[in-house]
Amino acid sequence: MDSPAAISVRNLRKIYGAKAAVDGLDLEVPRGCFFGFLGPNGAGKTTTIRMLMGLAPPTSGSIELLGLPMPERAIEVKQRIGLVPDESLLFDHLTGLEFTEFVGRMYGLARPLARERARELLALFELDGEPRKLIGDYSKGMRKRVAMAAALIHRPELFLLDEPFEGVDAVGARLMKEILLEQVRHGATMFLTSHVLEVVERLCDRVAIIHDGKMVVSGTMAELRTGTETLEDVFVRVVGAERQAESLGWL
Amino acid sequence: MGKQVRAIVWAQWRTLRNYLPRSNKITFWLTGLFGLVWYGGFAFLAVFAAILFSKADELTFIHTVLPTVLLVCFLYWQFIPILMASMGSSLEIKKLLVYPIPRGKLFTLEVLLRISTGAEMLLLLTGVGVGLLLNPGIPLWGPFLLIFFVAFNLFCSAGVRDLLVRLMARRRIREITALLFVLAAALPQVLMLAGFQKHIRLFFTKDPSPFWPWTAAGRLAQGEFSWIAAGVLLAWTAASYVFGRWQFERGLNFDYGAAASQGASSGAKTSRLEWFYRLPSALLPDPLGALIEKELRFLSRSARFRLVFMMGFSFGFLIWVPMAFGRASTPHSMVSDNYLTFVSVYALLLLSDALFWNSFGFDRSAAQVYFLAPLKLSTVLVGKNITAAFFVLIEICAVSTVCALLRLPLSVIKILEAVTVTIVVTMFLLSIGNLSSVYSPRAVNPVKSFRSAASGRMQAMLMLTFPLALTPVLLAYLARYAFESEWAFFGVLLVGIAVGALVYWYSMGSAVTAAEQRKEQIIAALSRGEGPIGG
Repeated sequence: MDSPAAISVRNLRKIYGAKAAVDGLDLEVPRGCFFGFLGPNGAGKTTTIRMLMGLAPPTSGSIELLGLPMPERAIEVKQRIGLVPDESLLFDHLTGLEFTEFVGRMYGLARPLARERARELLALFELDGEPRKLIGDYSKGMRKRVAMAAALIHRPELFLLDEPFEGVDAVGARLMKEILLEQVRHGATMFLTSHVLEVVERLCDRVAIIHDGKMVVSGTMAELRTGTETLEDVFVRVVGAERQAESLGWL
Repeated sequence: MGKQVRAIVWAQWRTLRNYLPRSNKITFWLTGLFGLVWYGGFAFLAVFAAILFSKADELTFIHTVLPTVLLVCFLYWQFIPILMASMGSSLEIKKLLVYPIPRGKLFTLEVLLRISTGAEMLLLLTGVGVGLLLNPGIPLWGPFLLIFFVAFNLFCSAGVRDLLVRLMARRRIREITALLFVLAAALPQVLMLAGFQKHIRLFFTKDPSPFWPWTAAGRLAQGEFSWIAAGVLLAWTAASYVFGRWQFERGLNFDYGAAASQGASSGAKTSRLEWFYRLPSALLPDPLGALIEKELRFLSRSARFRLVFMMGFSFGFLIWVPMAFGRASTPHSMVSDNYLTFVSVYALLLLSDALFWNSFGFDRSAAQVYFLAPLKLSTVLVGKNITAAFFVLIEICAVSTVCALLRLPLSVIKILEAVTVTIVVTMFLLSIGNLSSVYSPRAVNPVKSFRSAASGRMQAMLMLTFPLALTPVLLAYLARYAFESEWAFFGVLLVGIAVGALVYWYSMGSAVTAAEQRKEQIIAALSRGEGPIGG
């Protein structure tokens, strides 16, 4: 029997006031897949990922992660998930080491093991240079790197990555990509949101694009592209965002 | 679960410890010393309470004073964690939702964290408990019932904090809540000034109602068992558990995105205010007009500014009017004769952080633009200063309107006096503020209604400069007193305006030169912490 999908979402809706941030989303992410979840600003990507993380309750619809229904089996699911969330979920008054160790212990690692792994991960991400620096004083790139280190500490099966490369320098981003690809080779599943389409094109084997809370296209890279189209061409075409700069005569 | 609880308590401890300033050794040691004095003081109080409550011949005194001590503990326990949450030194349990922790256990953790944020009261209650235990006139079981009172406080504190955090997330309600909170904090002082000392004393000394949790806990802790007291304490503890749990669950399910979207301005309201924002551009040429328009838009949308602006004509009245016309005041005192001026100058003091001292810090992302755009920095400062003067003028109008509505004694000459005094003080504050904005800029979050502690340097500067700015006004009052003439008073004020204009002119030149030289330091200082230009 095939193992269930890593992420299975049915008719997911999230309403804010009169506006549907996510409107009847259906999504299937196979296991072992590097999945790119794309959309223009305000399309509903972060809302979707927050619902997957259990931070925002859906207005309606169902979510299954690693074959287990959410929120009914939330504890078992969360135990097997690694998160690179938006910056608001970091603890600004902890150091990078303290935070990473803390996350390890949240996933049930013994304190010495959590501390050892935290040290190794921070060294790997070159965050061990200023051990007393608080996360609140980190740059954007450093905050993403520490979030990535914390996401890896318990060796999860499914990663939910919200703009993980945002603000990260080229060297750091390359390291992160290598680590993520290595995890996929070992059977992990990646669910990635990013605005950097070149990165998505290079890393992901499947992509979904949402617009105004609705799925507009989904499939493998080969299925999405026609002829010599790049992912950027596909993206602009399907979200109908082509604008002519020439229309501004003075520009 | 045990591992996770230990980890969370450890993280809370680290968070509190990391709150100590680290970069500056002197500040670190001073803060450490302050902590030592603070907690040492409570430890001393606890020991004092232990000694006092251990005396067998003080049972009548204990009977009278214990409910009051417990009431004070309750108020402190509910008040302090709210302040700490506003400063970010308390772990946010909602952030733990992403980790594999059962939701039911999260409430236990929240309650545990309430212990660490109200440690002073736990220390004091331990002292009280030990004293009662050692008292031969009190049965041994009595002091142990204080545990129920501690539980009552912890549950209640968790609930109050969650309720306030949710209220603070809603745009319109945020300012009103913060204002009510500040007004509540000023209430004891207002009651005292308004001449209610006798009532307050009576409230604390007369035999309190047995249906309050502090009375019931006090009686039981002294070994005065009654089924009514036991029932009351249990009922309050159960009710606070239900309240705490209910608010906590609502907090976990609370959607900040939805709250923000509900508070968004409607299109109609935006268009109604549009004429007001565009007024400067209609009257003044660009770039000055555009700069003032931007400042008006920004400040009137900043939660922090709106709060201090509202406080100017509400909190100011609460402070000064009882002092001027309360039962404790004398007729025709200095305060009652000049209350409008007092309230107006006090409003200036409240507005000064936003309008004068740190004019780049509020909208720090714009500071880079000022240096990059082909603009004279003097134009930027003049734009900011005109906006400040405009808001000061509106504030005085609001103060006068409130006076008229409250039917307080008001005359044209008194309004003129308040306006002239405010103009003089404003001119000096603008002069000093332009320099401090350039020499001591600091990043401020305009969204946070509660202000976190300003830097010590800034506080010290406020203490020094405000009396300096008030000097011409004091001289004017002195002239009025010496010559018994309004002409002398307004004459000195006019001289003050002329001197203020000169000082403003020179300080503007110095500020512009310093800004050019300190461009890099200013941008670096404004980039610290999270924010639009935080790197």
